[in-house]
Amino acid sequence: MSTAHTDAAAASHDSGHSHAAHDDHGSHGPKFLAHHFDTPVQQFDTAKLGMWLFLAQELLFFAGLFVAYGIYRSWYPDDFSWASHQLDRFMGGANTIVLLFSSLTAALAVRSAQLGTRKQTSVLLLVTIVCAFGFLVIKFFEYQHKFHAGLLPGNLFNPDIHHLSASTQGLPIPAHGGSFFGIYFMMTGVHGLHVIIGIGVIFWIWLRNQRGEFTSEYWTPVDLVALYWHLVDLIWIYLFPLLYLID
Amino acid sequence: MSAHPSHDHDSHDDGAVHAHISSIRLYVGIFLALIFFTVVTVGLSLIHLGPLNLAIAILIATVKAALVVTFFMHLKDDNRFNALIFVGSLLFAGVFLAYTLNDTGRRSEVERMQGAYVNDATGERAPGGPPVVERAVQPGAGAAHGGH
Repeated sequence: MSTAHTDAAAASHDSGHSHAAHDDHGSHGPKFLAHHFDTPVQQFDTAKLGMWLFLAQELLFFAGLFVAYGIYRSWYPDDFSWASHQLDRFMGGANTIVLLFSSLTAALAVRSAQLGTRKQTSVLLLVTIVCAFGFLVIKFFEYQHKFHAGLLPGNLFNPDIHHLSASTQGLPIPAHGGSFFGIYFMMTGVHGLHVIIGIGVIFWIWLRNQRGEFTSEYWTPVDLVALYWHLVDLIWIYLFPLLYLID
Repeated sequence: MSAHPSHDHDSHDDGAVHAHISSIRLYVGIFLALIFFTVVTVGLSLIHLGPLNLAIAILIATVKAALVVTFFMHLKDDNRFNALIFVGSLLFAGVFLAYTLNDTGRRSEVERMQGAYVNDATGERAPGGPPVVERAVQPGAGAAHGGH
């Protein structure tokens, strides 16, 4: 892995600050350093802190959905088991692998950005985006089947026995299957929304990388977008067994 | 693997960001471990272990999540305060889950005393637990498992 240590680092830190011209950005450090930070490392730590606070908020936001899941599963364990068997484990498993792989490429994109290999960073970001689209396509086919089979939330729950899983043939249709599918569509829907937003922000970072904004001295935005993407992966790591793999 | 000198945390005095750059081998290794655990969790879900299935599924998911957070999200080399924020949010999510389930799972025990465990509107048993008879036999037990 060759390292292209380029120009931007050159900005010297030893030059005396001219405090008179505070709004003169160029005078106190490298170009990427915002004028309200003293050093690049202070700017970096601040950005990371902000991102982790945002991720903590995301976790607590999803926690509400996980608690709803816990309540309804503890109330209707058999209904949840029946409904879980209607989900396609193969598609769910495939999506897990797609998302894990996209997390790998996102992590490698950060590494590439840290080394300043710009072209490689762009390719890895694009692969991550392609995986995200792949995830959505698989999800679309899953949703399509649910609509087709009448496996829908709440009062819309009206299963067509001809489209149900072979593993539940002969079993009575549970009264509270709609509760499961309400939670299923809410959790996977909000997660899918995060995937769509992820595609948008990763594309934005790809554009900025193409414009040459990032170097081996400044790659914070690539790091932060990858953190977001890993969180989307993290949520799915729990959604997959909880929704698809109920015994 | 790294073009940077290995002094990660000790040389912040120059003001530049000295990131720890992990090797490609490490990232690919973590990815393969994640795939391995995914296969294991699918495999174990096919074996009927009763309530243990859920516990194992959550345990494996947590191992996977820990790998992602530690290595992909660099919490291993990150500022410890960021780890505190993350773990703190998990703790509070746990408090949220535990207290709520404790309420909703045992509600019928109180309602039995109040005679309010049937939904007046529909005549159905109100959500909150198995019928009174089962409760009386096994107080404190979780919701009845029919199982397949």
